[in-house]
Amino acid sequence: MAAALKLAGVRKSFDGFPALDHADFEAEAGEVHALLGENGAGKSSLMNVAAGLYAPEAGRIFVDGEEVVLTGPRDAIARRIGMVHQEFKLVRPFTVAENVLLANWRGRFAHGLREMERQIRTQAEQLGFAVDPRSRIDELSIAERQRVEIIKVLLAGARILILDEPTAVLTDEEAVRLLTTVRTLAARGTAVILVTHKLGEVTAFADRVTVMRGGRAVAVLDARSTTADELTKLAVGTRVTPPRRASSPPGARRIAVEGLQVARADGHMTVVDATFHVRAGEIYGIAGVGGNGQTELVEALTGVRAPLAGSVELDGAGDTTGASAERLRDLGIASIPADRFGYGLAGGLSVIDNFCVGQVHTAFYGSWLWTDGASMRKAATRAVAEFDVQGVHNMRQKSALLSGGNAQKLIIAREFSRDPKVIIAHSPSRGLDVRACAAVHERLLNARAAGAAIVLISDDLDEVLSLSDRIGVMTRGRIAAEFIAPADRQAVGRVMVHHA
Amino acid sequence: MLDQAASRRLLTTDAASQRSAGSLRVGRINLEVRQSIPLWLQALILGGAALLGIAVSAALLVAAGVSPKDLFDEFVVETFTDSGNFHSILFQAAPLIFVGVGAAVVFRIRFWNLGIEGQMIWGGIGATFVVLHTIGPPALRLPLMMLFAVLAGMAWVALPAWLRMRLGVNEIITTLLLNYVALNFLLHLLYGPWIDPKDAFPHSQQFHSFERLPEIGWGLSSALPIALLCTALAAWLVLFSRFGFYTKFVQDNDRMALAVGVPIKAVTFVCVLLSGALSALAGFVIATAQEGRLTQSFFEGYGFSGILIAFLARNNPIAAMIVAVLVAVLFVSGRSLQVFYQIPFAMVQLIQAIIVISVAASEFLIRHRLHWVH
Repeated sequence: MAAALKLAGVRKSFDGFPALDHADFEAEAGEVHALLGENGAGKSSLMNVAAGLYAPEAGRIFVDGEEVVLTGPRDAIARRIGMVHQEFKLVRPFTVAENVLLANWRGRFAHGLREMERQIRTQAEQLGFAVDPRSRIDELSIAERQRVEIIKVLLAGARILILDEPTAVLTDEEAVRLLTTVRTLAARGTAVILVTHKLGEVTAFADRVTVMRGGRAVAVLDARSTTADELTKLAVGTRVTPPRRASSPPGARRIAVEGLQVARADGHMTVVDATFHVRAGEIYGIAGVGGNGQTELVEALTGVRAPLAGSVELDGAGDTTGASAERLRDLGIASIPADRFGYGLAGGLSVIDNFCVGQVHTAFYGSWLWTDGASMRKAATRAVAEFDVQGVHNMRQKSALLSGGNAQKLIIAREFSRDPKVIIAHSPSRGLDVRACAAVHERLLNARAAGAAIVLISDDLDEVLSLSDRIGVMTRGRIAAEFIAPADRQAVGRVMVHHA
Repeated sequence: MLDQAASRRLLTTDAASQRSAGSLRVGRINLEVRQSIPLWLQALILGGAALLGIAVSAALLVAAGVSPKDLFDEFVVETFTDSGNFHSILFQAAPLIFVGVGAAVVFRIRFWNLGIEGQMIWGGIGATFVVLHTIGPPALRLPLMMLFAVLAGMAWVALPAWLRMRLGVNEIITTLLLNYVALNFLLHLLYGPWIDPKDAFPHSQQFHSFERLPEIGWGLSSALPIALLCTALAAWLVLFSRFGFYTKFVQDNDRMALAVGVPIKAVTFVCVLLSGALSALAGFVIATAQEGRLTQSFFEGYGFSGILIAFLARNNPIAAMIVAVLVAVLFVSGRSLQVFYQIPFAMVQLIQAIIVISVAASEFLIRHRLHWVH
C-alpha cells in the first residue's frame, strides 16, 4: 500500500539560506510517526510544505501514492492533511464552535453553528476530551486550546494529522494525556506525524521516527527498538554528554536575601517570604511548580520590580534592596530571563546591538559622545564565535531571527562576558534541544567554576537537581524547604506538591 | 533561525494558470520574510515608492488641466532658477525642518507627540512674552525670546510626558487635546491683554527690528542656519551618541531595555522635551522671521506636516531635513498652481497623502522578498 503522505526531495530556502535540502519523508496510515531533530533542523519547515503553507522550490508531494501540488492550506485540507501549529490559530474572543466553523464553513451560519456544536461534542467524546463548544477561547487553558485545534483539524476530515511540537506548552501530565489520545487516533487509521525534539516522547509513543539534521532526513528507524542515545547521536551528529558538576568548596557569601516580599503589578503578593543566600562558586537551585512567585522573585532580584519588604544584600555593596537594574548590573548582577524575547533580547535590533547594550554604559565602545560602531562589531563578532551562537549570517540581522537556543546563547554571551559576580538564571533551558541545553548548562557550570554565585530558578526539576549545590523549594511565595545536593528527587517533589 | 522566519506566515501565490501536477506549470511568485536588507536596497525601494507617488500626483495634476510642461516648469525649473521661488522655499523650509526633526526624535521612541501645534503656540507665546514685558536689553532680546520659547514648549509637552510615564495616560490623546487648550489660551491673549494697541486687531504688536531674526545675506533669514544647526545636533544625539543607542532599545522593546539597565525614563523624557523644544522653535521662527508678531493662525497645518515629514524620513533627522525642504517645494509650487491654474490647495494635501501612502506601502517590499519559483 502506498504511504499516506510522501515527500520526496523537498528543497526550500529563506532569503537565500536553505532550510530544507532534498528532504524526504514518508508516513503511513495508522502509525504515529515522530519527526525528530534539533531546533532549526527543518522539521517545521518540512511540515509546513506538507500543509500547503510553504511552496517548495523543488520536490514532490504524494498523498496516497498520487502526486499533488498544494497551492495553499485549502488544498492541503482538501487532501485531508491537517496541521496543528505551535502557535494556535484561534480567534480568542470567539467560542470553540465559532472557531471550528470558521475553519470548516457549513453553509448557513445559525444552522451550521448548531450542527458544529453537535459534531464537536461527538468528536470530543470519542477522543475523551472535555470541551464545551460554547466556551470562549479566552477562557480555556493552553492544553484545552490545543484540544480545540485538534478537533478543528479532525472535523475538517484530516486523515493525516501533523502536530508541531504539541507538548512544548504542556505540563508532563497533560503531555502524556495528549500522546495517549494520539495513539488512539492512529489506531483508528489516522497517520499522525509528531514533530518533536523530545526523545522520551519518541521512544514511548511513536511507531517509527524520521530524524532530521541540517534540512535533510538522515535516518528512519523503528521507534521501539531504538534508544535515546542513538537518536541523540543521529539528531546532533555527535554524542552529547550532559556536563557534570565538579565538587568544589564554595567561597564567601555573595548574595543574601532576607524576608523578601514582592507583589505583581495587580497588587497581588506572590513572593511572601523568600530567604536564602548564595556563596561564590555555588549554584543555588530554586525548584517549584511555575507560578509560585518565581517570576516576581527574579524581577525583584534583577531590579525590574521593587520589593514591598525584606532586604537583598550584595557582598561588597551592602544593602541593595530596590536598586535599579542599571545599578545592580554595575554591581555585577547578570540575568538570564525566562522570556527570551520579552526581557532578554530586542528582537527588532541587530545581533551587534543586542550584544553591546550590556556594556555600552561603561564607555567600552566609546564615550557618551560617540558610540564606536567598529569596535562594537568586533566585540560582538568575537563573542558570537566564542559562545558558539549559530545562525548568524550577518551581524546586522535581527535577533528575532535566531532560534531559541541561539537566542539564549547570545544572551549568555552578553551577560557572561562581563564576568558577573551573581547570575540570576530563570528556566535557562526552556524549549531548547539537547545540544543547546547542554551548552547552556556547561556555561553555567563554567561560571560557577570561575567563582560566580548562581541562582537557578527552574520548573524543570531534573535541571535543578543536576546542576545545584543546594536546592530551595519555592511554593506559594515561600522558600518552603532547603536541600543539599545530592538531594532526593522524591523528597523535593513532595515539598513542591504538598505545600502548593 | 529559519523556523523563526518561517513561523511568520508566508504567502504563496500561484502565478501559473496551470495548477495541476503537470509539467506545464510556469512557476509562481514566492514571498519570503527577509532576514536583513542592505541599506542601498532599502533606499532604492523607498526612493522608488516616492517616485511612483510623484508620478501618480503628476498624472492627477495633468488631469486637472496643468500641462506636463507647465508642471515641470513649476516644480523643477522655477524651484532652481527663479531666485524668488528659491527664497520662498528656503523661507518656508525652516519651520518645517523644526517640526519634522522634532517629530522624528520623539517618534523614534514611540512617543506619539501629536501636540506639535500646541507646542508651537507656546513657543510663540514665550517669545512674545519677552517682547511685551521688555525683558533684558535689546542686544539680548532675541536670545531671551528663543530661550523663553523653548522653555514654554518643553513645559507644555512635559505634562503629557509625565502623565504617560507616571500614570500610563495615552499621550496621543493628551498631546492632541492640549492643542485646543493652547489655541484657546492664545485666542484669549490675542483678543484680550495682548491685543495690538495700534490697530486693535487680534494679534500682538509688531516686534521691533532687534526682536526679529536677522537676515544673513542673499535675502535669507537666519532661521535656516538655526534649523540646520538643530538638525545636526539632533542627528548627532539620536544617531551617533550613546543616548541614541539607547533610544533604539526603548523603541524596540522597553521591557527588555529596562531589564538590561537602559535608563528608559531619562531617555524618554529627554526625547520628549527635545521634541517640544524643536516644535516651539518652529513657532519662534515663524513669529520672529516670517510674521514679525504673534498671530492667531501662524501654526496651522504644521502639526500634520511634522508627522508626515518624520514618517517619510523614517524618523531620521537628516532625512527629515531633506524631506522638509521637499515639502516646502510642494507648498510653494502648490501656491503658484493655485494662483495661476486655479488648482485648489487641497490638491497639495492630496499629493502629500499619495506620496505617504506609496511610501507606507513599500514597507511590504522592505520586509519581504519576492522571487519566482519554477
